[in-house]
Amino acid sequence: MAPSQASYAPSLGKLLKSLNGQTLEASIESLIYLLKRRQIKGDDCADATAHLLRQVVAKSKWSDVDQLLTRVQNVGSRLAQAAPHEPTIGNIVRRVMGLIRDEASEDRNADDFGSESVEDIQTLSVNAPQPPKPAPFTSRPPTLATVASFHASKAKSMFNLLSVADTLDSPATGASTPMSQAQPTSVSALRSEVLDGINEIMDEISQADDQIASFAEVQIQPGDFVLAYLPSRTVERFLVKASARRRFTIFIASLEPPQASSSNDPYAALRKKLNAGGVKMVSIASNGLMAYMSRVNKVIFSAKAVYQNGGLLVDSGASVAAQAAHAYAKPVIALGGVFKFCPEDPSDEIAGETGDSSSYVSYADGSKVDALEVENTVADYVPPELVDVYLTNLGPQTRHHLASIMADHYKPEDVGFSLIPGEV
Amino acid sequence: MSSKQGKGGAAAKAKKPTKAGTEEKREDVLQAVVLADSFQDRFKPFTVEKPRCLLPLAGVPIIEYTLEFLASNGVQEVFIYCGAHSEEIETYIHDSPRWSPNNILTPFTSLDFIRVSDATSVGDFLRDLDKRNLISGDFVLVHGDLVANIPLDAALTKHRERREANRDACMTMVLREIGEQPHRAAKARVITPIFAVEPSTGRCLQYDEMHPLQEDHYANLDPSLFKHPEFELRSDLVDCGIDICTPDMLALWSESFDYELPRKNFLHGVLKDWELNGKFIYTEIVDKGYAARASNLQMYDCISRDILERWTFPYVPDTNMVHGQSFRRIREGSCLEDSVIITRGSKVTKSVLGRSTTVGAGCTVTKSVIGRRCKIGKNVTIENSYIWDDAVIADGSSVAHSILANSVMVGEGSQIPPGSLLSYNVRIGDRTNLKPKPTPRISLFDHDRHPVVTDTSLVGEGGKGTLYQETLGGDDDSEDEEADPAILQTTLLYSLENLNLSSSSISTLASTDSFDSDQGDSHAGSYAAGDFGESRSRLSSFASYDSAAGVSKSDAFHSDAVHGLLDALRADDSDDFDSAKLEFMGLRLANNASDSSMRRAVAVAFVKRASELLSPENGGLEPTKAAETSLTSKRGAVKFIKEVGVGGDKPAIQAEFALALQKALLGVKGLEVARAGALLAAILQQLYNLDVLEEEGILAWWGDKRASENENLSKVKEKCHVLVEWLENADEEDSDEDEDDSD
Repeated sequence: MAPSQASYAPSLGKLLKSLNGQTLEASIESLIYLLKRRQIKGDDCADATAHLLRQVVAKSKWSDVDQLLTRVQNVGSRLAQAAPHEPTIGNIVRRVMGLIRDEASEDRNADDFGSESVEDIQTLSVNAPQPPKPAPFTSRPPTLATVASFHASKAKSMFNLLSVADTLDSPATGASTPMSQAQPTSVSALRSEVLDGINEIMDEISQADDQIASFAEVQIQPGDFVLAYLPSRTVERFLVKASARRRFTIFIASLEPPQASSSNDPYAALRKKLNAGGVKMVSIASNGLMAYMSRVNKVIFSAKAVYQNGGLLVDSGASVAAQAAHAYAKPVIALGGVFKFCPEDPSDEIAGETGDSSSYVSYADGSKVDALEVENTVADYVPPELVDVYLTNLGPQTRHHLASIMADHYKPEDVGFSLIPGEV
Repeated sequence: MSSKQGKGGAAAKAKKPTKAGTEEKREDVLQAVVLADSFQDRFKPFTVEKPRCLLPLAGVPIIEYTLEFLASNGVQEVFIYCGAHSEEIETYIHDSPRWSPNNILTPFTSLDFIRVSDATSVGDFLRDLDKRNLISGDFVLVHGDLVANIPLDAALTKHRERREANRDACMTMVLREIGEQPHRAAKARVITPIFAVEPSTGRCLQYDEMHPLQEDHYANLDPSLFKHPEFELRSDLVDCGIDICTPDMLALWSESFDYELPRKNFLHGVLKDWELNGKFIYTEIVDKGYAARASNLQMYDCISRDILERWTFPYVPDTNMVHGQSFRRIREGSCLEDSVIITRGSKVTKSVLGRSTTVGAGCTVTKSVIGRRCKIGKNVTIENSYIWDDAVIADGSSVAHSILANSVMVGEGSQIPPGSLLSYNVRIGDRTNLKPKPTPRISLFDHDRHPVVTDTSLVGEGGKGTLYQETLGGDDDSEDEEADPAILQTTLLYSLENLNLSSSSISTLASTDSFDSDQGDSHAGSYAAGDFGESRSRLSSFASYDSAAGVSKSDAFHSDAVHGLLDALRADDSDDFDSAKLEFMGLRLANNASDSSMRRAVAVAFVKRASELLSPENGGLEPTKAAETSLTSKRGAVKFIKEVGVGGDKPAIQAEFALALQKALLGVKGLEVARAGALLAAILQQLYNLDVLEEEGILAWWGDKRASENENLSKVKEKCHVLVEWLENADEEDSDEDEDDSD
């Protein structure tokens, strides 16, 4: 009985499980509070956002592309505002919005047999009088039914494709109003296409770490001394992958001085895996990492976000490591999937996010609590000139190629989506 | 109430068979009970108009923190017990976009309010809960003033494992360690809880409370404690009132109908009677995370500072937990909401400013919380203060370490001294300097919520409000016990000024089973603690021995016992003393009174009665006659003194009683020393004649140095010289004739 319910506390896993049973609005609300309470953070944010937007597309009522875009944008900006410290949320929202725009323009092109240009369609749809919005809070039947209806409508649209004559025969058809007739089929088709697209994004997020790790052999050479600053999941996987083929030494810089007892070593599992591969792992305190810099060949850390200018949002302290590496002219490799690329410039506020004071000073220490003012900056900003290689799931990149990646993934009109206040 | 107990018992029985079934079925639903009323006056005058859990803490009503804490731990069903101001709490929750039970977005599957009309304590709530049979499995019991970010998963898992191993493990208390150095949270909580914990299992063995005003800085250890191979005594824990309970724990409440407080009464009692009820209570001591209760104004102050300093992360203003908030953190550690205007030239550091608040030029705001729509004029200084919504502070004023409730207006050039509490809509006139003493606690209402007449000498021309009158310890008995530390808890500033305290720690342990003269000594010293105004000296202040006010505060047992005995002695209509004796013994058990305090109470009661008889309105009897009447008029009284008051044949013990009588006599008001001496001699003689005291005992007293420690004591003692001489030379044949000589 006990293991069946290890915990009551809400988490990403529980949220994802409950997505289907809950109403959309309740899911949004619980995600917002999970973000606010930091019960979902880091790379999980992107995953959670993608799952939630998938629900938005699947569950909310919309009859044309603009409604869907507004809906996604509303939800997205609420999420982004709930967690301004997690820029990846905004990236996923932009990606989904871009995806919808792409699918919509393809659809229309297909519907109109290419007779009209994309621009025309877009102006048309913008100017078209919008039907009254469906109440956003209407509860929907559970997704099982929704999925079933997808299949049905999909099948129907396939059917339509194959037998054009049948559609023409149907009594509702009027030759004079091709758009209105095309709408219902295109909505469901669009829906399924967008959902497929979101699934692809989710796959990309989940595979990013593995894809990045696949470049490990190229980046790490035998006999290297590698410094990893506060290794994240991405970095750990990268190192483990490298250890399979390469013999090297890894310095792990962690906030707390290395503990003699292995019980509270946060990297015990990593150490085990690396040792299995014959890689030596040395734990050092982050404030002493400069002393090791002369021995180190390269510095690796993972980015929380990569900004347009090439600057990085990183765990606090990584900036010092990057500067030290720069001073010693050692290459700095930043790991991060493409979904972490932010088409924005860094803002002061985000890098200045302060967290829990008690991670540095125990609240039990009365005299310190009274005497000290603890500012625990959670994140740091690394200026672009300190970063040598951006290792993404698409391969290693340099600063100069970032702009083209951004352009590939985001639509310029979605960049400022969160500035438009969402309907709460 | 009367029907409740019967029903409660029935419900507890009825629950047993059904419980297994429901528990299996709903095992994965975590329930929580929020006690939104604590039946205390510590937040007066603010709580006259608003319940404690809706007071803003860093801009957010306290109950939001509590509910968010529950939500973050995956609680699904919540029951809120409301007492005073229940409508306001219900309205607040129903209007809240996040918690309203009608809203599908709420993280709780159900949220119910329970009103208990005749509840007067937390105990009544919990007995009511037992009766209702709402709880199906483990549940979390919290207070409505909790601020915490501790994940409960570990504690819940451990609790469940223990419960499955042993059905009698009925409760786990979550306690936060705060280290051994002086800590502001430790100071602010005033009452220091002392837990005796078995370190290997976490089982709680004994619970006691201490506070700075108590007379002896001892914690009495239960001798049975030493049967455990090891235990820790911990006073370094913040008791944040988070309990993980099984329904059995509620049954325990129902069984003991007079428990009121969950710690002082319930926990202490259950642990003490462990052999009777066989229940285990465990502690889960956490050293990470934050947990505290805004249980008094100093804790309010402390938690507010903790929030500003982000110890409570993620429950900090810029997380914007409540809908409609838009705090942003700026440089210098402040959090501002939208449309806050801080005029250039003003310094705002480490503060929280709510929406649309304006701060004029030349102001300094440090470590303060200012609500929404406040207007702060020019050249205002605000330090360490908590200013709620819509307050106006005019040019050139200064506010230091105070709480200003909603819509308070402070006139130009006024000064609000540290520790001030200005309630809703109070207005302070221009150029008014409030005096720091008595603590300005200004309200428009008295404690019954009747409007009061403005006292312009206090609040200045154009001001509104008057000093809020406390009703501490005045009305009911249950408050008496609390009255002492309550003095400390109703102020914002922790101050032990005017209170004379010794600073010994609990490291000295008094064992209850060994009774020696040392303990008597400590109590001799404790008599002096009755009067706070005089310096604490063991030698000089016996005058305060029974000054009614002082003692009733410092020793509830003593005053209750003396009153009970006196009433019985005074009663004209019956000569029965048995009921008084019964009552006395009951009191003794309830308070776990020591032998010496019993002796003291008995001595004081009889001496008081005897000295009353001396006074003209009671007949103006001679000392001899008075002593005889007081001791012998009631049947059984003599036996009572012999068994309870003296309690032994040993000369040392008898000498203690004689000493107690001597000191009691000096404490009687309006009795001159000479007459006191005569009365003492008469009483001692009577007791000797009645075989209560023996010769050796009186002689031991005569030889005791403590009996002549100061002038008055010696004077009184001198009067007994004759008696002692007579005793020393006593032959068997002398008995009644010499009685007159002894005066």
